[in-house]
Amino acid sequence: MIRFDNVTKIYDSKGRPALDSISLEIDRGEFAFLVGASGSGKSTFLRLVLKEDRATRGAVYVAGQNVANISSWRVPKMRRGIGVVFQDFRLLPQKTVFANVAFAMQVIGKSRGIIRETVPEVLKTVGLEGKENRMPHELSGGEQQRVAIARAVVNRPGILLADEPTGNLDPTTSLGIMKVLDKINQNGTTVVMATHDDDIVNSMRKRVIELRNGVIVRDEAKALYTSMIPVVSSAQKHDDGPRVSEVGSANEAEGNK
Amino acid sequence: MRLAFVLGEIGSGLRRNLSMVVSVILVTFVSLTFVGAAGLLQMQITQMKGYWYDKVQVAVFLCSDNSSSPNCAAGPVTDEQKKNIESLLSSPAIKQYVNSSNYESQADALKHFKEQFANSPIVDSVSADQLPSSFRINMVNPEKYQIINESFSSVPGVDSVVDQRQLLEKLFSVMNGASVVAVGIAALMVVCAVLLIATTIRLSAFSRRRETGIMRLVGASKAVIQLPFVLEGVIAAVIGAVLASTTLWLVAKFFVEDNLAQQYRDTAFISANQALLVAPVLILLGILLAGVSSLLTLRKYLKV
Repeated sequence: MIRFDNVTKIYDSKGRPALDSISLEIDRGEFAFLVGASGSGKSTFLRLVLKEDRATRGAVYVAGQNVANISSWRVPKMRRGIGVVFQDFRLLPQKTVFANVAFAMQVIGKSRGIIRETVPEVLKTVGLEGKENRMPHELSGGEQQRVAIARAVVNRPGILLADEPTGNLDPTTSLGIMKVLDKINQNGTTVVMATHDDDIVNSMRKRVIELRNGVIVRDEAKALYTSMIPVVSSAQKHDDGPRVSEVGSANEAEGNK
Repeated sequence: MRLAFVLGEIGSGLRRNLSMVVSVILVTFVSLTFVGAAGLLQMQITQMKGYWYDKVQVAVFLCSDNSSSPNCAAGPVTDEQKKNIESLLSSPAIKQYVNSSNYESQADALKHFKEQFANSPIVDSVSADQLPSSFRINMVNPEKYQIINESFSSVPGVDSVVDQRQLLEKLFSVMNGASVVAVGIAALMVVCAVLLIATTIRLSAFSRRRETGIMRLVGASKAVIQLPFVLEGVIAAVIGAVLASTTLWLVAKFFVEDNLAQQYRDTAFISANQALLVAPVLILLGILLAGVSSLLTLRKYLKV
């Protein structure tokens, strides 16, 4: 579903690359955590998937298509296949819950009938039935994030990107959000979630991709937030992930010489 | 559905930015009024040219008692000299340029003078022998005035040859100057309008950046995102253009048609209907101004 092929992203030609020759593949229907400290390249990764930025080198494939080859007027169509959730919810404060979710359908020209049918369904999926007419400021943080998730998935995208969706929420609320994301994932949507919430990662036991300074230092299935394999030395650190692809580790080794 | 959505967005945008929208309307109104005024002035000049150039003639004034030119040193024109001039007029060399010609005696001149200044007390103090007699020549091509001038100005008994068109040229040059000034002010105001529209769109885009950000994320097309902003500017500009057209029509109707045209019946003035011809041009210009400036602004401030 998402494939990075030796992708490098450089914002500032003098500084360190934000992403340094990254190669990885996330399959259809997979749930993957993207972990790492601030500045490790998580957000850059998500921006490249959305074609908000261009890769400096290498190729990014989304749903089998090289995003560099998507002409600018077809980018909106591509983005309809990707839902996005942010740490700060990004709801429209003067619209009701229903209107916020419906907005995502209106702007791509869905008919009123389909909107009236689909929105309550999606709100039920995220656990917000009966709150259609509330305003965002009347909701708790967790509920607001559920609205944002509902908006992200209402057009049934194949991919859901979540950038620190629990960053503003307490642990209990976060767990509720994770259940929603898990449910969406079980309905067949590929979910990529950037986070540094170790409790959540540990409780979910999903694939974990760890970034540090723009390189993948770990890629494990059913993993914890911190590596289960003890780190021996910094030189070996990059080779310890069992799921790091051959190309990726070779490049990282090269990059560290 | 999408149309309804775009219309709703325009409505909320106009409401949220009301004071800016009003200023856009006023600036386009003033600038387009000047553009239209320049256009109407030009129409008026063309109209007058067509009207007067048919009537205006070259006048060959003959010597009278009051003439002071050296050609008239011998005193007033004699009958013999008059005949000589008449035959010169009908000679083949001159005739090809002349459409028609007639003789205006001193008595005729006094009659015309009295008609022209009917309301002025000067009429009572003028007598026929103070006014020169003349040949009035209507030329096939008024531009060839110089030929008449060269042929007649040194003929005995001729005081002076006057191209009356030149008197009108002065008037036209004043009117041309006025329309140049109007165009200059219009250009300045158009620049103001463009900048103001750009600023308005920028503000509008900024105040709605949440919405547009979300629209972008859920894959709204460029048109759906940008159209409300462009149309916002276009609607304001069109309202301004309609106001400008209305103003020009009112001026043409009540000032020119009902006032000037009544006072100066022998002059051709533009009609209110002709002012209506300017309206579509102004509206088109308003749409173009707003459309282009908002598209340029959006390219810079609204990434899609």
